[in-house]
Amino acid sequence: MRPFTLHEPTSAAEASALLLERGEAARLYAGGTELLLAMKGGFLPCDHLVNVKTIPGMDAVALDGGALVIGAAATHTAIESAPIVRERFPLVAQVERRVANARVRNVGTLAGNLCFAEPHSDPAALLLLYDAEAVVEGASGERRISIADLQIAPYETALEPGEVMTAVRISPLPGGARAAYLKFGIHHRPTIGVGAMLRVAEGVVVEARLSLGSVPPVARRLPEAEALLLGERAEHLNAESSAVAEVADAAAAQADAVDDLHGSTEYKRHLVGVFVRRAIAQAAA
Amino acid sequence: MSARAFSTVGQAVPRVDAEEKTSGRAKYTTDLALPGMAYAKLALSPLPHARIVSIDASRARALPGVYAVLTAAELTGMETHYGSDRKDRPIVAMGKVRFEGEPIAAVAAVDLAKAEEAVELIEAEYEELPPVIGLEAALAGESEPVQETNVCHRYEVAWGDAAGAMAACDHVFEDTFTFPMVYHYAMEPHAVIADYQADRLSVWSSAQHPFLVRAELARVFRKRLDQVRVVVPYVGGGYGSKSYTKIEPLAAALSRLAGRPVRLALSVEEAMKTVRRHATRATIRTGVQADGTFVARECRVELDTGAYTDNGVRVTERAADRLPGPYRFEHLRSEAVGLFTNTTPAGSFRSIGGPQGAWACESHTDNIAHALGIDPLELRLKNLVRPGEELLRGRRRLEADLAAPLAEVARGFGWHDYEPVSTAPHLKRGVGMACAVANAGASPISGAFVRLHADGSATVHVGTTEIGQGSRSALAQIAAEELRLPLSSVRVIASDTDAVPYDRSTGASRSTTLAGLAVHDAAADARAQMEDAAARYFETFAEQVALAEGSASFEGESISYGALIGQVFGGAGGEIVGRSAITPDHPSGKLAEDPVFWEVSMGFAEVEVDTETGRVRVLRYTSVADPGKAINPAQVEGQDEGAAMQGVGHTLFEEMRYEEGQLMNPNLIDYRVPTFGDLPDEFHTVLLERGDGPGPYGAKGVGEGGIVAVAPAVANALFNATGARIRDLPLTPERVWRALRETNDA
Amino acid sequence: MSSATPRIRVACEVNGRPVEAKVEPRAFLIDLLRDEFGLTSVKRSCDVQVCGACAVLLDGRPVSSCTLPAFEARGHSVLTAEGLADEPLGEALARAFAQHAAFQCGFCTPGLLLTAKALLDSAPAPTAEQVSECLEGNLCRCTGYKKIVEAVLAAAGRSAV
Ligand SMILES: Cc1cc2nc3c(=O)[nH]c(=O)nc-3n(C[C@H](O)[C@H](O)[C@H](O)COP(=O)(O)OP(=O)(O)OC[C@H]3O[C@@H](n4cnc5c(N)ncnc54)[C@H](O)[C@@H]3O)c2cc1C
Repeated sequence: MRPFTLHEPTSAAEASALLLERGEAARLYAGGTELLLAMKGGFLPCDHLVNVKTIPGMDAVALDGGALVIGAAATHTAIESAPIVRERFPLVAQVERRVANARVRNVGTLAGNLCFAEPHSDPAALLLLYDAEAVVEGASGERRISIADLQIAPYETALEPGEVMTAVRISPLPGGARAAYLKFGIHHRPTIGVGAMLRVAEGVVVEARLSLGSVPPVARRLPEAEALLLGERAEHLNAESSAVAEVADAAAAQADAVDDLHGSTEYKRHLVGVFVRRAIAQAAA
Repeated sequence: MSARAFSTVGQAVPRVDAEEKTSGRAKYTTDLALPGMAYAKLALSPLPHARIVSIDASRARALPGVYAVLTAAELTGMETHYGSDRKDRPIVAMGKVRFEGEPIAAVAAVDLAKAEEAVELIEAEYEELPPVIGLEAALAGESEPVQETNVCHRYEVAWGDAAGAMAACDHVFEDTFTFPMVYHYAMEPHAVIADYQADRLSVWSSAQHPFLVRAELARVFRKRLDQVRVVVPYVGGGYGSKSYTKIEPLAAALSRLAGRPVRLALSVEEAMKTVRRHATRATIRTGVQADGTFVARECRVELDTGAYTDNGVRVTERAADRLPGPYRFEHLRSEAVGLFTNTTPAGSFRSIGGPQGAWACESHTDNIAHALGIDPLELRLKNLVRPGEELLRGRRRLEADLAAPLAEVARGFGWHDYEPVSTAPHLKRGVGMACAVANAGASPISGAFVRLHADGSATVHVGTTEIGQGSRSALAQIAAEELRLPLSSVRVIASDTDAVPYDRSTGASRSTTLAGLAVHDAAADARAQMEDAAARYFETFAEQVALAEGSASFEGESISYGALIGQVFGGAGGEIVGRSAITPDHPSGKLAEDPVFWEVSMGFAEVEVDTETGRVRVLRYTSVADPGKAINPAQVEGQDEGAAMQGVGHTLFEEMRYEEGQLMNPNLIDYRVPTFGDLPDEFHTVLLERGDGPGPYGAKGVGEGGIVAVAPAVANALFNATGARIRDLPLTPERVWRALRETNDA
Repeated sequence: MSSATPRIRVACEVNGRPVEAKVEPRAFLIDLLRDEFGLTSVKRSCDVQVCGACAVLLDGRPVSSCTLPAFEARGHSVLTAEGLADEPLGEALARAFAQHAAFQCGFCTPGLLLTAKALLDSAPAPTAEQVSECLEGNLCRCTGYKKIVEAVLAAAGRSAV
């Protein structure tokens, strides 16, 4: 691996300035579980590493109002083991506990996962079930990016040059909402991840979100399929129901799958149907 | 052998390397360093097939901190090629590259970072050739062949008139099956430290066959055998990947050029591009009578042996030997052809040709059973070779009974009254079995010395390498048993061609049987000398003295070994040396025939398949191993369980995937091997101990058998559960899903 | 451009003893431990954080030292298999691994012992499932895993079911 210089800023503004100054030659570094792998493999040349972990407070996992605020330096382990996450955002804790292996979770961060924008990501798909935002800071101050707009292509985010993600803000699910996330695959990263959120009032679905990760180039919602769930009675939404089957078909039809080592487009579309059905059934149960 | 009870043989005592290996102190090749040692890095061909127009290493050589850059131009005053059967492998590519990842140059530098930097500066120009990828392309031979021809080796076993006999059979069945290229993933990638000096070449290597490496190095560098020393520290797994000679000549040539010791340690990616298992396509035709009796079999296997011969000749032969399976045939023809392609060279991998053959044979057996409406167990019992019969004509007769244990383990597994439990509509369960027996390719050439020291402790010198299989422990147990010493008084030293007698190789499940016999005989020789000494001391006959627990006794008097040795040499020093040399003419008469033993494989699987995703889980797996006599039962189980788990890998996930000659998954993220999560809920090994092996106490080899039956047992279970017959491995979820869809459509 | 990068002073605790070294920013923890401190139990295998052969405990938690920069050890405590052997739990695990034949080539063993220690520190009486789940990120190519689960359970004073 080629040599690099380590920078240890003490504020996001300083980090941002360092990035702007060095341009392409500099990269933010959190856990390094992606970045250093890529650098070791010679895929990502980088002469300056800007450590986000030296910025005070970046590792916080806290509540702000009702929202969960996860600092950009918080590791997967810190997130899944935080009592407030386990109690108030149990699904986030559950999914975070099953990202990668224990060693990667002890070092890797949620922010790093999202900012790397590797298509096979669990949190990228999960967070689409929530109203969630990335908080970023750059030369022109702080802004928020809806999680749905954060990743724009494989390995590409909406962050402008010099912008640093400082936190992820996750609003609680609305009252009456139930959610599930399922992942599947035989490789280290998921072949598919599907999330389902159903808000039920008086036994009827009044809001639905379905998210799909790892199959499309960027994790996304499945709006056409979601629309079909509105007005359905929750108690009917089991794995055998025809209504759910219809939603699953719509989801599969919408999935822009790509061929890769995880499987063919055709198979992945099929999996979308299977897991959308299972996720809905689990959320409704 | 007397009826004396064993003191350590047959017991699951902790391994003698436990202390070192559980404290982090065990030393492997990369844990060693020599003064002034340089670090090496390889420059690899990015292309699968090309003529080398030029290699310019001048910028790399000019980099401060670089000691030497080796290219084909520097291979002067020495042999340039090596290989176990054919010397077709250049030390670095010469004239042509034949697979992506073939070394074209190597750098020795002050540290690894510098060596890596220098490799980046090496410029090579190529003229691309169309790559020969896959068996079809190799057979078609429409573009420039990989070697002089694409055919590496042809081989056939035959008797009777298989083709003619088919016509007279009630039924003829035919199936074709493929097996993928797979990677050993020994957790320690190949590593060598070479120290070349004018009159002496010393090499520390993670080698399974140090004496074959020594001979190869002596030939390449035109030295006498005594001038070459190969030492093998602990080895982090082999499974065949470190057999014969791999990167030792390259490291030694680089050391010669650099004028200092060189360390070459491969990465996983480089190890994947060093050796792999042969991919195969096998077709089997069987002529069967209406009652299920097998009459005739014709089979053909094509093997993808990659860019160089490596062990391709032997693997090709063994594949043809093993493909027909453990059954009797009046008429047989089994042919094999090994083909060169522009991919990683294929060599030995735990049971050469075995898993590929059993995958085809045992899947085919279940197809026949299904077509004839006969229980797969019954069909096997009917056709298995019987003890005392020849499986392959003209070879050693099968000593072991296969049918009785197969039937018995089937009973224990619940074969006859199996009822699948269903926990959800999309989950289906089923059971399957497979059985095989392999002619062990073990050559009976080994020697040992046992030195009994003046304090009554003993050192065993034997050429087997400890690659994890527990050879040092089993050999120490045998020595302790024969010397009548406590196990803690016996040390087996590491393999070092300067210090231990010749042993052909560590592989083919041969160590406990053949090196074990060498140690047994050497220890018995030392014991006989002690008995004589004791007889002289007690003034009686040797038959009258008793040796036990490190002492000799006679009529209530006893003397320790140490004191007795003092008596022999008239002082405090001296030692008794016992020695042995094992050859096919061993006085037991058991090593004269080929093979020295037959290695048995049997496996029973229960699987659960998610019919919606195609994901297969192995719920229960029972494996049968036949050690004859288990010197250390826990280690035999461990060998068998490890082999079975490795089999789960090629059954469910493992496959080296090439696209246009580029390896697409050259790392452990994309090449998936089994993890703790893949452990079956119930996982057992049944040991057969009938004392019928040619080794010490009736032992015979194990360690390869466990891998052989897994894939067909699992696929047969899947067939039992769903009716889907899959003919290609691995059984990835997608492949299973497709097969289920076709089955349901049909 | 190369080698002009300033070195970083790493002061940390390794196996209970304070140590210090100067490292290049690009040096990984595995290199510091093996090359500088001679702790060769830390094994390089997959080099991509999948196999666990290079696992060490950083403040009690397993990390992949093959991909973690050495400077991350500053101010922290590192435990390797050499240090674990001196701890009571380390001895219990070593004994159980020996008695249950839970290793063969031994290349994965240091990382497994450390990962098992981290598990037993947080869950002293785990179930077989918990053991498998916790060790899921460590590969072993020799044993077939069963005997490792049995050994960890035995070290925790529990027998396999
Ligand atoms: C073996 C393995 C298995 C895995 N399995 C899974 C899995 O099952 N599911 C899953 O979802 N993921 C998986 N991952 C991915 C894992 O979650 C990520 O590696 C990890 O979360 C990345 O975090 P990091 O802190 O190490 O990021 P780093 O490597 O430090 O950074 C990653 C990228 O993000 C950028 N970056 C980091 N911080 C910021 C910031 N604050 N602002 C802007 N940009 C930033 C960096 O410049 C870099 O480009 C796996 C990874 C590995 C190695």
